[in-house]
Amino acid sequence: MNILLLSATLLGGVLLSAQSSINGVFGQKAGALESTFLTFFTGMLFLALAVLFFGQGDVLLLLDAPRWQLSAVLFGVSYLFLTILAVPKIGVTAASIATVVGQLSAGMVIDHFGAFGGVEVAFDLKRFIGLLLMLAALFFIYRGNKRRVEATDADSIAS
Amino acid sequence: MKLIYYVFALLAGIALSIEGAIYGELGNSIGKLESSFYNFFAGTIIIGLIMLFFGKGSLAYTFKAPKWTLLGGLLGSIYLTILIISIPLVGVGLAMISVIIGQMIASMVIEHKGWLGSRRFAINKDKLIASGLMIAALFLIF
Repeated sequence: MNILLLSATLLGGVLLSAQSSINGVFGQKAGALESTFLTFFTGMLFLALAVLFFGQGDVLLLLDAPRWQLSAVLFGVSYLFLTILAVPKIGVTAASIATVVGQLSAGMVIDHFGAFGGVEVAFDLKRFIGLLLMLAALFFIYRGNKRRVEATDADSIAS
Repeated sequence: MKLIYYVFALLAGIALSIEGAIYGELGNSIGKLESSFYNFFAGTIIIGLIMLFFGKGSLAYTFKAPKWTLLGGLLGSIYLTILIISIPLVGVGLAMISVIIGQMIASMVIEHKGWLGSRRFAINKDKLIASGLMIAALFLIF
């Protein structure tokens, strides 16, 4: 059961990367805001069908949910919009790794304070070293990208 | 100058984490698919308003665009639903690790092959070192 769930989340990561690439392509022609809108709009249509046929909860409970929980959508919108801006400029790998670094750093802060009703996990030396390694990873991706840009420039001068 | 786009991507990741943490809670009270639906429903309204007033692009391009470029919303909604279902069962930590590994492998393959309209960019030493560091970091953090 767990193996199945973990494969599903792995697939989730694959889908997220594919989505970033696809939206980057669409956004360059149609505009970043427009691409964000289209993603939300079509996502809403698909999920409306899914809720209709497979929903086991109750959408109307939204009206009773704590207001702060509903603010999550602001973060969802920001995530998508920022990704659509970044991917065409720095590529999907660099954008994914930078996103992950932001994700994990924020995750550690959230854990440390047990914010949003989650479990409290203290920030310790191991996590600090992990953070440093991630920053180093980001540096290598940045350097690799810069080299590529220089190489492309050299190509275009030569041709 | 491109550095600003790395900052954007970092901020995007921070937003993704906060989003996941809050939706985990919401999913428990109103249902998983329903939370996912709420995200896309409210998001459509918010970004729709922003686009109306500040959009400089062309939404009409949607009808001319190659159809596969319209699939972002489908992929995103599957991702979010999978996550909301699995987080309570396997825990945020393990779920994040598998998402991240899937994301890193997929993005490198996509760029290496030039799939989905991305510019081709072969896997190089810097990228491999970066992935190694990321995996070590994941072990330390969880």
